[in-house]
Amino acid sequence: MKLTIDRKAVTAKKDETVLQCALRHDISIPHLCTHSHLSPFGACRLCVVEIEDMPGYPTSCTTPAAEAMVVRTDTAALQNLRRNILALMMLEHPSACLICGRRDLCEEYRPVAEKAGRTTGCHTCNNKNVCEVRTLAEELGFCDLPIPPSYHHRPVDRSNPFIDRDLNLCILCGRCVRICKHQHGTATIDFVDRSSKTHISQAFDRSLLDAGCRFCGSCVDVCPTGTLADRYAKWYPKPDTITKSTCIFCEQACALKLEANKGELVTARAVNEDIPICVLGRFAIPEFLNSTDRLRMPYVRVGKVLRETQWKEALKTTAAKLKEFIGDGFMLVCDTTSTLEDRFVFKKFTRKVMKSKNYIEIEPNYRGISLSSLPKGTKAVLLTGKFVPSSQLNGLELLIVQDCFGTNVSQRADVVLPAAIFAEVNGTILDGSGQKRPLHKACDPPGQAKAEWWIISKLAQAMGAKGFAYRSAGAISKELGISKAKLWVKRDQAPEAAQDLERRRTFFRGHRICEKVFALRELPIRDSSVPSRAVSKRTDGFQILEKYEIAPNVHEIVIQAPNVAKKAQPGQFVIVMVDEKSERVPFTLCDWDAEKGTITLIVLEVGQSSRKLVLLEAGDRIDHMVGPLGIPLEIKQYGTVVLTGGCYGIGAILRIAAALREAGNHVIVIVEGRSHYKHYYKEKLETVCDELIQTTIDGSLGIRGHAVDVVGQKLKDGEKIDCVVAVGCLFMMMLTTRETKPYGVKTLVALNPIMLDGTGMCGACRVTVDKEMKFACVDGPFFDAHLVDWDELRDRRVAYSAEEIHLVGRTESVAPYPGHGDNCRCLR
Amino acid sequence: MTSLQEAFTKARIQWDKLQDSKVPIFFVGAATCGRAAGASEMLERLRGYIKAKSVDALVIEVGCLGLCYLEPLVIVHKPGAPRVCYGNVGPDEIIAILENHVLGNDPCAQWALGKVTAGELEGIGDFNEHPMLRRQVRRILRNCGLIDPENSYHYLARDGYRGFLKALEIGPGKTLEEVKASGLRGRGGAGFPTWRKWQFCRNAPGETKYLICNADEGDPGAFMNRSLIEGDPHAVLEGVLIAGFTLGASQGYIYCRAEYPLAIHRLELAIGQMRELGLLGENIQASGFSFDLTIKKGAGAFVCGEETALIASIEGGRGMPRPRPPFPAESGLWGKPTVIQNVESLGNLPLILNNGAKWYAQYGSESSKGTKTFALAGKVERTGLVEVPLGITLKDVIYDIGGGIPSDKVLKAVQTGGPSGGCIPAEKMDLTVDYESLTEAGSIMGSGGMIVLDEDNCMVDIAKYFLSFTQEESCGKCPPCRVGTRAMLSILERISAGEGEMADLDKLETIAQTVKDGSLCGLGQTAPNPVLTTLRYFRKEYEDHIEKCRCPAFVCSQMISYHIDRDRCTGCGACARICPVKAISGEAKKPHVIDQHVCIHCGACLSTCPDVYAAVYRRSGELTRYEARREKRDKTN
Repeated sequence: MKLTIDRKAVTAKKDETVLQCALRHDISIPHLCTHSHLSPFGACRLCVVEIEDMPGYPTSCTTPAAEAMVVRTDTAALQNLRRNILALMMLEHPSACLICGRRDLCEEYRPVAEKAGRTTGCHTCNNKNVCEVRTLAEELGFCDLPIPPSYHHRPVDRSNPFIDRDLNLCILCGRCVRICKHQHGTATIDFVDRSSKTHISQAFDRSLLDAGCRFCGSCVDVCPTGTLADRYAKWYPKPDTITKSTCIFCEQACALKLEANKGELVTARAVNEDIPICVLGRFAIPEFLNSTDRLRMPYVRVGKVLRETQWKEALKTTAAKLKEFIGDGFMLVCDTTSTLEDRFVFKKFTRKVMKSKNYIEIEPNYRGISLSSLPKGTKAVLLTGKFVPSSQLNGLELLIVQDCFGTNVSQRADVVLPAAIFAEVNGTILDGSGQKRPLHKACDPPGQAKAEWWIISKLAQAMGAKGFAYRSAGAISKELGISKAKLWVKRDQAPEAAQDLERRRTFFRGHRICEKVFALRELPIRDSSVPSRAVSKRTDGFQILEKYEIAPNVHEIVIQAPNVAKKAQPGQFVIVMVDEKSERVPFTLCDWDAEKGTITLIVLEVGQSSRKLVLLEAGDRIDHMVGPLGIPLEIKQYGTVVLTGGCYGIGAILRIAAALREAGNHVIVIVEGRSHYKHYYKEKLETVCDELIQTTIDGSLGIRGHAVDVVGQKLKDGEKIDCVVAVGCLFMMMLTTRETKPYGVKTLVALNPIMLDGTGMCGACRVTVDKEMKFACVDGPFFDAHLVDWDELRDRRVAYSAEEIHLVGRTESVAPYPGHGDNCRCLR
Repeated sequence: MTSLQEAFTKARIQWDKLQDSKVPIFFVGAATCGRAAGASEMLERLRGYIKAKSVDALVIEVGCLGLCYLEPLVIVHKPGAPRVCYGNVGPDEIIAILENHVLGNDPCAQWALGKVTAGELEGIGDFNEHPMLRRQVRRILRNCGLIDPENSYHYLARDGYRGFLKALEIGPGKTLEEVKASGLRGRGGAGFPTWRKWQFCRNAPGETKYLICNADEGDPGAFMNRSLIEGDPHAVLEGVLIAGFTLGASQGYIYCRAEYPLAIHRLELAIGQMRELGLLGENIQASGFSFDLTIKKGAGAFVCGEETALIASIEGGRGMPRPRPPFPAESGLWGKPTVIQNVESLGNLPLILNNGAKWYAQYGSESSKGTKTFALAGKVERTGLVEVPLGITLKDVIYDIGGGIPSDKVLKAVQTGGPSGGCIPAEKMDLTVDYESLTEAGSIMGSGGMIVLDEDNCMVDIAKYFLSFTQEESCGKCPPCRVGTRAMLSILERISAGEGEMADLDKLETIAQTVKDGSLCGLGQTAPNPVLTTLRYFRKEYEDHIEKCRCPAFVCSQMISYHIDRDRCTGCGACARICPVKAISGEAKKPHVIDQHVCIHCGACLSTCPDVYAAVYRRSGELTRYEARREKRDKTN
């Protein structure tokens, strides 16, 4: 078929839509709900075009290309319509950051994502690097909302293993619903309710698990926004490498796309997006491989202890020990999850070097468990997994464990050698049907872990054997005569485990997979041998009297703390430990009542510790609190004082403003929020200042812009300002500093570096002010903003971001959710 | 065919007997509307009386005659006298009619609306000359209120199923020709030529085809389809048969909202009767045509009136529209060619077949043929279900049939087409009622809602009302409709709360245009019509709200302040007692005062102040409105 799109003559294939035809000819038409694997849906309305002899604006995704059609995709009317439609869509999606002029600077100064709360802007969104909405907004030049946006205020749904769902970001493109139907025949999820209450949910609002979800993750993969997220992977930076490899969790050998960032595995997805893979393949691999239990170094037994050592030493010791057991007294046990190359070396080593016929290769059974008892007469054993219960190891003279995880078996070993597995190695494996499948190295092994063929070859060499000088797995393949193995991409059916959760493997080389991947414990066939930890209700500590979420992520918490309340002064803070294992986190004292003996904190839910805190309810107790700490703000007669606050700072400036005003200052309070729903405390602030100005980035409340814009305007207009005090995020305080510096206005900022003990001992909160080292906890928190080294502060704040990312994945999966009693395992 | 022929004969005999009945008969209008007006209580009383006094009389529940403002309606057959229709018949009146007219000699002319059959009766004129009926042409509604809808013989005796037999006789091709010649267009709202839709479906490849009767009447205040089904279910079902036969469909569905239990009950009864008469099933009347019918109850979502959403709902899915093409006529229910027709379109088919296309087309305008039923409501003397020839002017409908605006108020606009339609201003009352001219005026024909608005209706409020309906009923699939309607609504709410800005009007227009151009289905594409038409014809009213902060119709409560006239107030304290927020104070027998800071604009004081004083007056902007002082409360109010 020949047709014209934008005056360009193009040829359409049979059954092609106008959109498909245009895209194939490099003519771009904005689109969102369309997905290459799904049939047209026509919901987002962004791909509208003009077609001669057709009324109105048909959507190109649903209109079949036809002979002699004349299509226009780029008229001013169309662009205008698309922009207006996007603007409507953005009324239900946190969109202030899309139209913010300072986004790049913001992202530079806030490189760590706020990991635990709801997303109310791009900088806190896990999807920002790959966001289709954001790309579209930039393409269409979207810059204005017709009316103030609405925020749905829906809680983030963390009640399901592996998948987080923040419906506040959902634009209802329906891709998840459609892919679920496409992949599994019937959809677990669907649209629920109507009009602006429409949302994605399961029938009768059951959990995904109860609704029969198989956790293939296809919905997460197709979501164009940050609504659906892989809980483990969501806060990792964008992957820098993508490698195709094969899954070795079962003999189905699904082809995988492994995404890594700086050598660390982040996500695994199906190569063939049309056929779902199982929950292990989609969600368990990165957490399994990145588990903190991985063996990272070789260990050699010295007396009663296993001592960490280097490879050279370990190999030398092992070789010496093994030499004493040459003959049939030696046995090597491995299973078929080792590559053909590895197993070739194992066998060659057993036969040629150890001169033993006891090379045992076990087939994992359907659950992945492969137990074996050792034959009598065995004196020395090399195990490549936890194949034997530790109770059966009595009477052995030498035990070498070459494994990926430390276990009670490796605890009893004479030598422990850390093995690289799975996505960390190259090689070939056999699938259930006997076909060869390739493994490609996608990430780095932990610590000094090495490929198994490497370890055994080096061992053989250390024992003086010839014929083990392999330089790569490829060299062994060559010797083995393995021709190039192919990924199994073109399968026509989903593997069993993807259709039925109960068919998934539960063991890998004798290691329980769910011990490494916590969320698996929530799936059917719970492992009863894993003990659950009882939750005790505390009676000591500090009781929370009231708790409200006064804006998305912003929680007002009133705590009974008479001694703190008695001594608190404006600008001071407390350090809170939620439970005995939690971090120590500083929170500004927002308000206090000495008579009632209460203090009020404004807690912004950003990371794992603040998340723990906001999960508590009124009546609950926090473990530990110390305060008031820090030097109070100097309250004196400055003249005109401008207080700027953002996020938690809106609340944190309340008592500062009151005190300054009482001291006779003219107090102007300027508070900022991305959108109207991020503001709170208007009534309270009005009572403590002479002038209250609210700003929003999208203009939905007060002045459009940041608080600093108002400060800048006032300075430009020559208004007399004697002192500026800024409380908020690093970005906001840094911006204020930049603005006031040329005018030489005294500017104080409440710095919020990482802080541990809060009493000047640990030095974690070190900041450089006027080229001098200061501790924010005892010298601050207030400093002269113009003397602060902001770049250093920024860099120090991200020092532990990698660790936090790891932790958050774990914290979130143990978050309690309604319906869970005290004995629930997720409270472990 | 014998059994059907026998049934015709029996029906004729039964009908004739009924006409000359020797015992009195009460034909009680007991459709949903009649029952709502009190027909049930009246029936109970009547039956109780008949039983208690052993009166030899028949009571037959019939459908609606359409004179809603006079409900409950009863037609009384007294042997030897012409039948008389009575209006506003309550339990007391019916006993009085029974005792005085049926058993006595007083025809109760005070409640009589007219004679339904020929003959003389003192003081009672012809029912057909009743002002509400005089200008009507009752074709589709010909049987409503006159036959027992639960008795198939009544329908058979009134030429029932003759149209279908005619279709069988001339074959599907000629039936289609006949429908084409009649100029029938879809009565669901859009007015797509019926024959053309049929043609597409007939030409679509595939053996299996479906016919769906869309009885998902969802416009607020519309009840044309319900009345027709409740009053004459077989007329619709005969239409279904004719359409099914012409299309070669094997299965038909009636998609009816579950909120119409009586209609569903009557349809179920009628379908059972059709089976007995050999009008459903295999090889109907030995014609080789096999057809069956299923009733599918809808859950009452407005969007399910949209063809593709309706199909999704029948298929068991969420009632959510899908884009076209493919059109249902090519790929509809279960992917098969499907035609969906509105109840009224189907009701027209027996008439066309039985009387011929020419007869049918004698009424109507150039492009819109036949008659159309309307639910006439709002500020008009005579409300009800009316059937008028297309091409009649709005003025004729409102003034001749509707009797004009009550209480000497001034006509402001007419709203047609329900939430998808628009408001046509008073100066356009010469507009003819047909598809094209209504569309040109910015409204639509719709399924037949017609609401008359007078000077006491605020146009901002009207737009808000309809928009809040479509907003609630949006399925949520596409952003223009889901978010756009809410955005417009919030602007309207802002305007009616006195917080509007002039820029809001441009915003409204932009969003309205986006919703109109960008929405996926008819619901969204037409949802801005109430806003666009009111903006087009009544912009000044919007500007009044915004610039002068006043609501000229005194409707938008946030713009109205309540005050007490010192000269009129006698200090009776009635208003102070009723005020829910204690905003009114004053000493006994001295003028009271309303504290404007406390007042919540509920209007309780206004309605409580005795008419003799009428001391409470309203202000909106610089406008002031006093209530007229009356010695006594008007009874009709």
